[in-house]
Amino acid sequence: MSEIAISVRNLKTFFYTNQRCNKAVNGVSFDIHKGKTLCIVGESGCGKSVTAAAIMQLLPRLSRIEDGSITYHSDQGDIHIERLPRNGPQMRAIRGAEIAMIFQDPMTALNPVFTVGFQIMENLLYHTKLRGRQLKDKAIDLLRSMGIPAPERRAEQFPHQFSGGMRQRAMIAMAMACNPKVLIADEPTTALDVTIQAQIFELMTTLKREHGTAIMLITHDMGVVAELADDVAVMYMGNIVEAGTVEDIMRRPTHPYTRALLNSIPVLGRGKNQRVLPIPGSTPDPLNRPVGCQFADRCTYRMEACNVMPAETQMTPTHRVMCWRHEELANAPRQ
Amino acid sequence: MLTYIIRRVLIIVPMAIGISFLIYLALDLSPGDAVTRMLNPVQTVDPERIEELRRALGLDAPLLVRYWIWFSGVLQGNFGRTLTGGVPISRILMERLPATLELSTIALVLSSIFGAILGTISALRRGTTTDNVLTVAGMIGVSIPEFFFGLVAIVIFALNLQWLPVGGRLLPSYDSYWDHIPNLIMPSLVLSIMMTAGVMRYARAAMLDALSREFIKTARSKGLPEWRVNLLHGFRVALTPVVVLIGFRLPILIGGSVIVEQVFQWPGLGNLFVLSVRNKDLPTVMTIALLSVVLVLVVSLVIDILTAIIDPRVRLGGD
Repeated sequence: MSEIAISVRNLKTFFYTNQRCNKAVNGVSFDIHKGKTLCIVGESGCGKSVTAAAIMQLLPRLSRIEDGSITYHSDQGDIHIERLPRNGPQMRAIRGAEIAMIFQDPMTALNPVFTVGFQIMENLLYHTKLRGRQLKDKAIDLLRSMGIPAPERRAEQFPHQFSGGMRQRAMIAMAMACNPKVLIADEPTTALDVTIQAQIFELMTTLKREHGTAIMLITHDMGVVAELADDVAVMYMGNIVEAGTVEDIMRRPTHPYTRALLNSIPVLGRGKNQRVLPIPGSTPDPLNRPVGCQFADRCTYRMEACNVMPAETQMTPTHRVMCWRHEELANAPRQ
Repeated sequence: MLTYIIRRVLIIVPMAIGISFLIYLALDLSPGDAVTRMLNPVQTVDPERIEELRRALGLDAPLLVRYWIWFSGVLQGNFGRTLTGGVPISRILMERLPATLELSTIALVLSSIFGAILGTISALRRGTTTDNVLTVAGMIGVSIPEFFFGLVAIVIFALNLQWLPVGGRLLPSYDSYWDHIPNLIMPSLVLSIMMTAGVMRYARAAMLDALSREFIKTARSKGLPEWRVNLLHGFRVALTPVVVLIGFRLPILIGGSVIVEQVFQWPGLGNLFVLSVRNKDLPTVMTIALLSVVLVLVVSLVIDILTAIIDPRVRLGGD
């Protein structure tokens, strides 16, 4: 097993609105390994983005880390991120320098009134000793290394003068400016078309290989998972219902939700008459959760025991699942 | 960019002519004229003498002819003489314009600066007591008319405390320009109140909108300190709509100065305007109206150019 960059243990993040509590992330644990990609998969609202925001301490005002720990294993020793003040100097020293983040829509994630070069230089200004001309040169170098043509001219331009793919490259250049140990990508290609998606993923793979960056990739696209992931965590209603290596998840999916997710996407080569099965029902109201297993209402394997939340079972050293019927499901073939 | 500016400047000319004609028409349609205003309502005057006076003042000609006489005069830089005193209007303007410009400029600068600062503080402290106090103060500021503030200020600071003069500007015997600063304080502050409140409310909304955008999260994710996130990334984006608002408020500032100049007997254009309308002194009213029209048109052009400068996404004239 490779070195761990960030370990998250029993993380709980709750939102408080109108005197009600939404347990958006309800006890998740995972590790992000150096030089590996961890994909977090799940439907909208399952808590994947909140988990990412919690690691960066970028949670909205009405939410907070309730319990659990986020440990960043830095070169100078372990840092307990959940104990740092949100926008305090220690947290700011980590953000952008040690752990960087890229977002879903690069149009809204870049400030429209500043040049792309300026926005990259800002990152360098706060985390490196570069000043003046060096800052500018470094920003141009970064843009060039992200495959942006004519970077000298591009650095002077504003985000709206970039195409979608170029914007995301610029965003990655910004995130990678200080050579962070961990890159958190929150659905980085959702707003881009498929050919550009492939280019962005190729770029991320290169970064992972060349810099040994640990990547936490949030997605809802199983195709992306199959292509990029080393490890996978499947989230549903604030829990990781199944986690393992990409082989564990893709070849031996055990949790009914993982199986349903895999059955709901078409597979290349099975012909146009293949059956794509949507998951029945919809996700429950987070403010009015069912008792017991959160997936039970939509699950074809439901039984009496599912009225109690199943415990997490470690099936193999890498593969864990939260389901009462994991033993029989592990051996049952997928439809 | 340059073609756009030239085009916009050229558009000002026909617009000013059109608007000035409409004002001329509206004033002509209202009952009575300068002569009827001059007459003593109790005394009976020979109708022939009245007609003679009309002829002498050039009021008997048809509307279009009168408009043309006035307008061709303006083109030659001759604004005519007041009907009620025969004083050259250009001379009166030179006396009155500095007073109004002084008042409006101070009010504009004060309200822009304080409105933007208070609005930003309010947005950054949203939900706190500071925010609530500022919001209520803003509501009061925009909803209570200026003459009321003016009268209250006179009662408190001029009559009761006797700190400041009741009104007026320079005494006939003034020694230095700075002598009238005490006279300037109340009118300029009263004129600022409503606009400060307006700018503040708008700046707060614009700032909250900017702070809720994704790029604020990006700025934080880069490890930037809070002041830079809020004041550079947030305020810079909130600035565009605030500048546009301040521009659109300028005509209100001229309108507001009419009232404030009345309350404080400030010898500015607004005061003159009210007097001239009462006396049906058409040449004077028209000159002031034309001046405001040109001012508003020029200001809207300046605002457009400013917007293009501060917001790189705005391209003027589509080029």
